Amino acid sequence: MTAVRDEISQGPAVGQSWPRLDSREKVLGATRYAADVPVAGLLHARLVQSVYAHARIERIDTSAALAIPGVVAVLTAKDLPIKGSGDMRMFQPLATREAVFAGQPLAVVVAESEAAAEDGVQAVMVEYTPLPAAVDMEASMAVAAPVARPHRHISAQDGEMASPHAAVGHHDDVAVGEVEIGAAASPHAAVGGAADKPKLTEELSPNVIGRHWHRHGDVDAALVGSRATVSGRFETDWVYQGYLEPHGVISWSDPVNGDLVVSSGTQGVFYTRSQIAKIFGLPVTKVRSIGTPLGGAFGSKILVVEPLAVAATLLLKRPVKLALTRREDMSMTNPASGTRIELEIGANADGRLTGIKSRLVFDAGSFSEWTVESIGAVLVAGPYRWDAYDIRAYGVETNRVGTGSYRGPGGPQASFALESLMDELAARLGMDPLELRRRNAVTPGDRMVDGEGWVRIGTREVLSEIESHPLWARRNSLPAGEGVGLAVGVWPGGREAAAAVCRLEPDGSITIITGVVDMSGVASGFATIAAEAFGVSVDKVQVVATDTQGAPRSPLSGGSVVTYSAGRAVQKAVEATREKLLRYASEDLEIDSGDLEIVDGQIQPKGAPGRGKSVAELAEKLDGFGGAFEPIEGHAGALPPSLAPSVSAHLAHVKVDRETGEVKILNFVIAQDVGRALNPALVEGQMRGGVAQGIGWALLEGMPFDEQGQLLSGSLMDYALPVAGDVPRIETRIVEVPAPDGPFGAKGIGEAPVCGSPAAVANAVANALGKRVYQLPMTAPRVWAAATSGSTGRSNNGGGAG
Amino acid sequence: MIPAAFEYSRASSVDDALRLLWQHAGSAKVIAGGHSLLPLLKLRVASVERLIDIGRISELRGIGTSSGGGLSLGALTTYRDILDSAAVRSQFPLLIDVVDGIGDVQVRNRGTVGGAVAHADPASDLPAALLALDAEIVVRSQTGERTIPAAQFFEGAFVTAIAENELLTAIRIPSMSGRGGAYAKLEQPASGYSIVGVAAVVGRGGSQVRIGITGVGDVAYRAMAVEQALLASDWSDNAIRAAAAHAADGQVVASDIHADRAYRTQMAAVFTRRAIAEALRRAG
Repeated sequence: MTAVRDEISQGPAVGQSWPRLDSREKVLGATRYAADVPVAGLLHARLVQSVYAHARIERIDTSAALAIPGVVAVLTAKDLPIKGSGDMRMFQPLATREAVFAGQPLAVVVAESEAAAEDGVQAVMVEYTPLPAAVDMEASMAVAAPVARPHRHISAQDGEMASPHAAVGHHDDVAVGEVEIGAAASPHAAVGGAADKPKLTEELSPNVIGRHWHRHGDVDAALVGSRATVSGRFETDWVYQGYLEPHGVISWSDPVNGDLVVSSGTQGVFYTRSQIAKIFGLPVTKVRSIGTPLGGAFGSKILVVEPLAVAATLLLKRPVKLALTRREDMSMTNPASGTRIELEIGANADGRLTGIKSRLVFDAGSFSEWTVESIGAVLVAGPYRWDAYDIRAYGVETNRVGTGSYRGPGGPQASFALESLMDELAARLGMDPLELRRRNAVTPGDRMVDGEGWVRIGTREVLSEIESHPLWARRNSLPAGEGVGLAVGVWPGGREAAAAVCRLEPDGSITIITGVVDMSGVASGFATIAAEAFGVSVDKVQVVATDTQGAPRSPLSGGSVVTYSAGRAVQKAVEATREKLLRYASEDLEIDSGDLEIVDGQIQPKGAPGRGKSVAELAEKLDGFGGAFEPIEGHAGALPPSLAPSVSAHLAHVKVDRETGEVKILNFVIAQDVGRALNPALVEGQMRGGVAQGIGWALLEGMPFDEQGQLLSGSLMDYALPVAGDVPRIETRIVEVPAPDGPFGAKGIGEAPVCGSPAAVANAVANALGKRVYQLPMTAPRVWAAATSGSTGRSNNGGGAG
Repeated sequence: MIPAAFEYSRASSVDDALRLLWQHAGSAKVIAGGHSLLPLLKLRVASVERLIDIGRISELRGIGTSSGGGLSLGALTTYRDILDSAAVRSQFPLLIDVVDGIGDVQVRNRGTVGGAVAHADPASDLPAALLALDAEIVVRSQTGERTIPAAQFFEGAFVTAIAENELLTAIRIPSMSGRGGAYAKLEQPASGYSIVGVAAVVGRGGSQVRIGITGVGDVAYRAMAVEQALLASDWSDNAIRAAAAHAADGQVVASDIHADRAYRTQMAAVFTRRAIAEALRRAG
């Protein structure tokens, strides 16, 4: 490993900080997002949404809307030209017989102007018969509970409609990605997948659509024999991804070749192409998916709005735009699940972790294809070794919006529960909480609870960074009302098959062609990888993120997949290009290619600067007619054989106003193992952004629903995102433990920072108050309630010294 | 996010605005900075037949001081105007407390005091301040002008004593000589509106006191129980704390996702105590 690091430290690009490729356009306001693309003859779509969480739709009267000048069409489910069938929401973009969540689209009004479309929406009359709504997730697990989607389940029994969950039986332990009908593997398929696992067979409501059980050893015996055990029940609210740009799409039919073009803020163009083709029964090669610059996505932007615009385009033969308003976006996209996690852990007197017992319930909402209780079940065990475990996770459908991915899906919730109890356990043992974590950190050869092997990660190293920080030393001598909290965040990583193309240009620069959508700066990471692998500076690299018509096969951006997997493909494509260039140079210079090197854009005999030619000079000779050598291009694919988990340690310093429950974060430190920091400035940006989002999870963000399933924080006037004043200066410490299969040791680093941050704040609040808050977000009223509660204990559910 | 269609008239003067109001009584809404009304229209939560835009009537904008030390705020005076006023800053620090905590820079640049007062959002800050400051609201119609004490102006959520054909033209605030004032607020974390906002004005040595509270019920109110307890007390810390505990007496306390009834009631006491303590300190 050190050899790799020594070698790459010589290179021109890796480890250099420079601004993102797209930063100038963004700062100047020149970036054109999905809704900004100019298209002639555009129609505007707006949505009629269900006012009930669960209701039979008796009648949709569109006549008044159609009479409004400018309204072209009002489409309901029966009008849509959907050919594929599937249980995923993308196959049912409008409610059919019944609405299953408040805000579900019931009809699309398409008009010549957005104003006319909005007038049309107001004029559509919907007759409903309200039905009992499944709202409380725990109650919805009971056999007699109202069924959130009875239509789907009845159909599955009748064999009318293919339901992925029905097809494999309710009692099977299967990861989401393995059962989706018509779906490519989910970005998280690599996580939580399980074979030969015990099955949970208790009789439960058909609302329970996911069951996962990981078991090893005799956990009850392990806990009974422990020196200390602690337990708690932790709850988290639904959380909205909170990107600046709401979902948007424009679709049209190519006037020349008739291809369907879908231009949208999507995280994956190939996935969009495949799914749109399946949904509408089109040849996959007649669909072209263009990914527009993302104004934030965080896991959400995967085929929510595209089917609606495409359906209208196919029916009306016109370009159609659908750009959600913030209220629509908050009510009908795919936020992170609300969860309840019951957890008990124990340790021996020497701090060795004995057993972990957990029951996790994730609210999947009404469309459950992206539910992530399987990931939560893995992450609740953290990056720690356990003698015995019994972890059961359930995904439950309710009459809420369907859940989706949110940066580190399942991670913030799982870490909140585990890291809170790690602190409690350390206190019971009379042990330093950092030492307890360090002593139990996994090493290569250990396995995650789902059987996936751990590679070497820097858990001990990030903890050492925190240990050496002055704030950690001051933790027990702070003013009254202040507290410092430690937590570890971990993301297991993801891997996908990916390809990339590299082309030498006549000016000596290289162009990387990818189908990866530039999310969180990955294109800039590709530029660094390419420059390093080729031997030029990054300003000699272009990255073209293109659409499905011309891009090499590329995975969806998500799950910390693309830098690791597609970045590796970029590296290999560049190496192939470089190899070809050296062969050509060998002919041109009449020197054996093995004796040549590329240094700073010069091809020269090894160790003999000044005796070669510039890359540009050679490239120029190949431009034009009668070239003397085949084009200098490379194409490569990659599929890393291992996962590359990223781990972080977080230190939050808070001040709590006991009278009001308000929490102010004074300082925040994050140390993260990033594998290799391709561009430290971008890595630090990911770390800071993750912490900022984690602070939102910790203190502010929540989507409460009332007993009828109505969202109560459906606008940014009620849903509190962290603003500049809520986020302190964030100190970042980069730790590099290279990923064996990553490009130059790099790996995906976007998710761990959000996973551990809420728990660090929770531990800081507990240390400041002497009382623990078991619910996220820790809003002022919740903290105040904990501060003023009579109980003196910090564990809410027993536990004790053995 | 496009309002339903409406008619639009721009008033060129106060007289022109009054004429338009008379002509369209019952079917028109007055718009000034637009920072309360426009979002409602764009969300189609509200709709209007006609907007009468008074935003360019320069005679309605400005801050005046009387020889007796009183303050007059034209209806179109922006929050920014108040923050930039040396007179307000030196003599009415309570108003600076209030305005500094309203919205963000853009809102403070465009939002007007007359608009906020006429809109009468139950969680907006100015109504509490005007109650504590014993302000008067000046309204005018084609038939004449009248002055309404703040205590009689705010009738309910979004309901005021302004008649359909009347225009709010100014707010008058008496001198603060010999008195100190302060505003303490618990912000709703998303909107920045008050969960509880308490304005206190205290006479030097505890000679008098007026407390205005917003956010607790559906309309801002004077906390008479607190005032009476204070006037009968020695103004010690304990006495202030005991008096402040009456902050929500007689109110139907609101309950929502940001603060349930118990929490909001307790916060009314906490912020009342904090506002009184600071006002007393400023009274000297």
